[in-house]
Amino acid sequence: MKTLLLPYSVKKWGWLLLIPAFIGAIFLQLEWIPDFMNPSISIFGLFGDSIFSSKQDTAFRIGHLDLIRNLIGICFLIGGILVMFSKEKKEDEFINQLRLNALQFAVLINYSLLFLCFLFIHGFAFLDVMMYNMFTVIIIYILRFRFLLFNHSTNRNEE
Amino acid sequence: MKNNIKVERAIHNLTQEQLAEKVSVTRQTINAIELKKFVPSTVLAMKICKIFNKKVEEVFYLEEDD
Repeated sequence: MKTLLLPYSVKKWGWLLLIPAFIGAIFLQLEWIPDFMNPSISIFGLFGDSIFSSKQDTAFRIGHLDLIRNLIGICFLIGGILVMFSKEKKEDEFINQLRLNALQFAVLINYSLLFLCFLFIHGFAFLDVMMYNMFTVIIIYILRFRFLLFNHSTNRNEE
Repeated sequence: MKNNIKVERAIHNLTQEQLAEKVSVTRQTINAIELKKFVPSTVLAMKICKIFNKKVEEVFYLEEDD
């Protein structure tokens, strides 16, 4: 059966990107990264604007971005995708079913959480919700899939 | 769907691990099939029956609610 999966060998690179990015994201959120380590660099952008200044929107021009923040986001995404979409050491149809289960679970939980956030989180705090929400599908999927694999590998039924 | 893979395994003196290797799946897959937690694809079902030299109907049975 054909599946859209990357080879097993990329999984370790995925973890190598994902784990530091995850730790970095926590540091960033707790504001443990000093300003001098987070330079703002100028780079070409398709579109940019600034809520907090009177500068005009820019399209197809040089804009500014926080280097560390964007780097962590990019590493998280690439790492997450590599971990999510790489084969297990031994891949078969049952593992594939666990993948589907984990994906359905992740999407369902993700949108349920988003629904609750819509109800109970208001104002600018919702920006944070949207930021976390970009990554929750990946996080929940990986946790659920690992849990299912672990569960089935310990569930022995030999006579 | 019911199956008597466990019985057939005993007859052929195979562990889950050995059967899994013969049909190139993981041991968890054989375990899940035996526990009726997973219904194998037709291809896998036929591979398993080939190992046991049985027809598919002799190893896998439909249940009332199938």
